[in-house]
Amino acid sequence: MVEDIATIVTSLGFPSVEAFIGAMFLVLAVVAVVVVVSTIKPVLNMFPYTYPNARVRARTGRLFTEKEFSEIVESQNIEEVKNYLRSVPDYAKYIDLYPLEKALDTQLAETYDLIARITPDNSKDVFKFLLKKWDIKNIKSIIIAKKANLSTEETLNWIVPFGGLTDKLDSLIEADTVTDVLNALEGTEYPKILEDAIPIYNETGLLLPLEASLDQYLLKNLLRASATPEDDNTSLLHNYIGTMIDAANIKVIIRAKADNLKYEDIEAYMISDGYQIREWKLKELMEAEDVAGVVNGLEGTDYAPMLSDAMTDYTETNSMASFENALDSHVSKTAKTISLKNQFGIGPIIGFLNRKENEVKNLKIIARGKREEGFSTSMIKEMLI
Amino acid sequence: MAGEIVLGTALAAIGAGVAVGMAGLGSGIGQGIAAAGSVGAVAEDPDMFARGIIFTALPETQAIYGFLIAILLLVFSGIMNPGVTISVASGIVAIGAGAAVGFAGLGSGMGQGITASSSVGAVVEEPDMFARGIIFTALSETQAIYGFLIAILLMVFGGILGT
Repeated sequence: MVEDIATIVTSLGFPSVEAFIGAMFLVLAVVAVVVVVSTIKPVLNMFPYTYPNARVRARTGRLFTEKEFSEIVESQNIEEVKNYLRSVPDYAKYIDLYPLEKALDTQLAETYDLIARITPDNSKDVFKFLLKKWDIKNIKSIIIAKKANLSTEETLNWIVPFGGLTDKLDSLIEADTVTDVLNALEGTEYPKILEDAIPIYNETGLLLPLEASLDQYLLKNLLRASATPEDDNTSLLHNYIGTMIDAANIKVIIRAKADNLKYEDIEAYMISDGYQIREWKLKELMEAEDVAGVVNGLEGTDYAPMLSDAMTDYTETNSMASFENALDSHVSKTAKTISLKNQFGIGPIIGFLNRKENEVKNLKIIARGKREEGFSTSMIKEMLI
Repeated sequence: MAGEIVLGTALAAIGAGVAVGMAGLGSGIGQGIAAAGSVGAVAEDPDMFARGIIFTALPETQAIYGFLIAILLLVFSGIMNPGVTISVASGIVAIGAGAAVGFAGLGSGMGQGITASSSVGAVVEEPDMFARGIIFTALSETQAIYGFLIAILLMVFGGILGT
């Protein structure tokens, strides 16, 4: 037997059985390395998301259920809503510190801040950029407050203590006029962003161009920041952000067409290059005659079926709510699909952020409904996302 | 001492190395993934500590199987028992045994780690998911058990154990 093996080994050109075994080991070792590397690689891609996903899923579990929302909506007044939120640790720490809307925004901003800190490096830049949302919200709140001659204390009620401008907030709030606020922004990136809108404001006194420039800067750069996907995770993040931007563009166009505005009136408020709705298509939609023309123009895109259904409601009620709800639902559906499709990657983060946004929006709707006269429980329920 | 080791014993030593190395690699990666998920869960909910430890400990078993086979190989091939020697053929069988438990442990450990991490996420989101999470996570154990059993059978019928 041993002689047979030795004969075979020698006939294969090996000087000894030991040499043959050595060569076999070398081959097996190479095969093993290939198997191990190809098996481990996809697993290691999941690894950076395990920690953030566990944290995000813990917070997803704390989001309000439909039953809990029903209980909040049934509250008799705003104080009962606040009492309910005091029993929820995430909101409790801000409820007694700030007015309700500010407390809700602050909790949301804290969530964004957490995500930007714990998210893996390949998507960190996008989430860090997303934090500018709070700078932009604060600048918009301050200029609106200055225009309305609100006091410093009243202005503070609308300021969210998060973002990159926290050190400058005091000087911005203490400015006397909108122009002083814009001057106080010197040294930040914002004067350059507002350079085209400031002359229009100086001429017309309208804040809308300033607000539109800030919103455009955020969305355009957010899309740009996610535009070169490194892998599946960043590609899905780009898909989600792109869908949000498309929905925002379509909302602006439909609202403008409902008010009979022309291409020249709308163009300045658009994010020039969307995701699925590219620049040429946006131009075509802005040139449409009316709302029906916009909806027909979207034929062949993901937005067509839902907007056609919403068109029926719009024809009956003349309310924009059906379009806005349809587009918001589409964004939420996209987030949900991504969260299910990519459970070991960025999916849970995107799914959670979308649901958290919706939760805060719903709480604000309830707060407003309870504060203002004439909103029944059923009316508030209908308005919830 | 090293000069007295015969080729069969040296091959068995490679088998032992593959057994503990590959199983440990899979177990380590799996446990790392489970631990990262558990740390995230505990950061949000300190009560998750005990459950996180349980899920993190599950991918440990693959390393234990690899370790046991490696010890058996070391003892019965003569490395840890100088009076014993095994043939070249048995040495090759020992490599097969090591590869069986090692590679099965590699796949099983990584798979179990992913499921354990996902289960930790599910439990921290919905505490009632604990028992179901354990069941799903335990499923990936079977591949490691197959590898372990085949390694034992190879050692028994390959002339290493019981000779």
